[in-house]
Amino acid sequence: MEFNWSEEDLAFRRDFIAFLGEALPKDWKEVSKEGPGSEAQASFSREFCARMAKRGWLTQHWPGEHGGRDATPWRHAIVGEELWARGEPRGPQYMNVNWIGPAIMAFGSDEQKTHHLPLISSGNVLWCQGFSEPEAGSDLVALRTLALRDGDDYVVNGTKIWTSYANHADYCFLLVRTDPDSKRHKGVSILLMPMDTAGVEIREIPSVVGKRYFHEVFLTDARVPVRARLGPEHEGWDVVTYALQYERVGSARYARASLTLDRLAEEARGRGLLEDTTVQEKLGEARCLCEAARMLTYRVIDQRARGLPPTADTNIARVAGTLVDRLVGELALEIFGSDSLEYGSFADSNFRMSMTAGVAVGATEVQLNLIASRVLGMPKD
Amino acid sequence: MDFELDQQQQAIIGAVSSLLERGAGPKRAIDLGRHGEYDTKLHEELARSGFTDLALAEGGSALEALLATEAVSRSAGQVAFGQAALVVPALLGRSLTGPTALVLAGDKGPVRFAAEATSFLIDGGEEARLVECKAGSAPKTLSNFGYPMGTPSEELRRDGQGLGPGSGEKLRAWWRVMLAAEAVGAMSAAMEVTTEYLKNRRQFGRTIASFQAVQHRLAECKVLSEGARWLAYEAAALGAPPERAALAAAHALSTAGRVFVETHQLSGAIGFTHEHDLHVWSMRLQALRIEMGGTAGHRRAVSLTRWMAEA
Repeated sequence: MEFNWSEEDLAFRRDFIAFLGEALPKDWKEVSKEGPGSEAQASFSREFCARMAKRGWLTQHWPGEHGGRDATPWRHAIVGEELWARGEPRGPQYMNVNWIGPAIMAFGSDEQKTHHLPLISSGNVLWCQGFSEPEAGSDLVALRTLALRDGDDYVVNGTKIWTSYANHADYCFLLVRTDPDSKRHKGVSILLMPMDTAGVEIREIPSVVGKRYFHEVFLTDARVPVRARLGPEHEGWDVVTYALQYERVGSARYARASLTLDRLAEEARGRGLLEDTTVQEKLGEARCLCEAARMLTYRVIDQRARGLPPTADTNIARVAGTLVDRLVGELALEIFGSDSLEYGSFADSNFRMSMTAGVAVGATEVQLNLIASRVLGMPKD
Repeated sequence: MDFELDQQQQAIIGAVSSLLERGAGPKRAIDLGRHGEYDTKLHEELARSGFTDLALAEGGSALEALLATEAVSRSAGQVAFGQAALVVPALLGRSLTGPTALVLAGDKGPVRFAAEATSFLIDGGEEARLVECKAGSAPKTLSNFGYPMGTPSEELRRDGQGLGPGSGEKLRAWWRVMLAAEAVGAMSAAMEVTTEYLKNRRQFGRTIASFQAVQHRLAECKVLSEGARWLAYEAAALGAPPERAALAAAHALSTAGRVFVETHQLSGAIGFTHEHDLHVWSMRLQALRIEMGGTAGHRRAVSLTRWMAEA
């Protein structure tokens, strides 16, 4: 075991932080207030990711043959920590490099690889994730969106919901049912659908999380070429499972929580609260959850670095990340008090980002189900 | 970064586990616990096999001593192992023969292993102090909290030879790392015995373990206790920097409280009895939670070291 970063990794982190000092605009705090899906951040991401790509850092963890540098998952984790701590200047593109690209590498045709991977690794393409449906939320596999073969196309009909970034996206990683008689895991496929396809309509779902955070995507006789299908027909569930394992620890939420806590401690000091033993205990508790989440995420990265298959440790790390997000979100409200009530204030922005933690990327209950069955060996019925 | 046990660490865990399988375990803990007895035989065997010297041995490390501490606690060993293997070497740079008890100068209550201790390390604030004495220097105190206890006199708590400036902080840091490792070991055993019980116990025509409400509670305990385990490993491997030590202790001991509540609630009445093993670990978890002033103090130490630059 070794819990220190290597000299090379430390040097890389320093270089990367220096790069961020130049690459982020002076008013970055203002730009990043609405989260990675905001208009401002999504459009800035095209500029920012292109700069990262030029330095070779956007997809450094990808294999050389796909425009990467074969860097270790640790290097990519450093990037993730520094960027999440700053409110994710990659905008929605963190999904591209974390799991959409890797899924295309693992399951894509040569044509798909040649088309999509260079777009992603150059940093100028936005994706959204077409998974949830009105009747398929936590129980994702209950999806109903139908894609029926008609010549060289699928004709897609259905509704996707909670789709972040749909308003900016060039492509959708779309989960559909290609076998209308199928149930559950069988008969599901993935389509890499251009968002400018005729029959795709997007509507914002206004919410307390923030502006343009959630969308519905209506698909009405949308024609998607068969060659845009990722992986074998009817066997898309394997692709989803693969992608989700990468997605669940894709965002270094603990890194943002850690920085937020430092800021909260400063604020508490300014307000004369840091001497209060109750405040000290709460800050201490939150920092424990934060560091525990960091260690549990590192364990998953370590397994990935060894080339081991994903395990339920991923779910453990995800739940740990959720716990810290929630606690830090609440603590911000307590410490900032009535100042939190102003829209866009530090505590308000932070709270809005934190409140989706247990729902996004698979509800906590689903993660706990998996931990109970795969780690604790508890039976289903 | 490397989260895998190396071959030497695996070998050490294997060796200490097989010794513990023969010489420790819940049944022995219950037998000895009836009269609050110390397991002198186990202590001597662990020392003879070199496990108390893991941190001092050439090529050895505090992390290895910590892994052994976790294993001893998982096997409910009635011995002051972490004190000998982790704390004493860090403070003195050598080992001591016989049990060592760790004492807060300002406290009054019973202390783990104090009745049999032939040495005391006393947290006197800035400086730690060492008392070497005969066994029986602190009178035995009966306790329901698993460990053999004794109560050192006020005089003894004021006694001892100073170990130099900064030794107080060092003692507190390693003490915290030790508590974290012991809690992690006892939690994993408590959760294991509970999970097994729930898989076998049938009510309402199905095993209790198949209820989702039950599964989620243990799964959450697992998330928290795994975090505690890695924080403890990290703290030991980095040499117990005060903040990392406080993090490990605070997280492990707050989790221990949760594990106590959930494992007992889910085990029902049988969980309170001597015929079921849960109490062996659960009551110890509460003793660990109380030691050194409790979880709140560890949490405050996290804040103080992170944001106020003092221990």
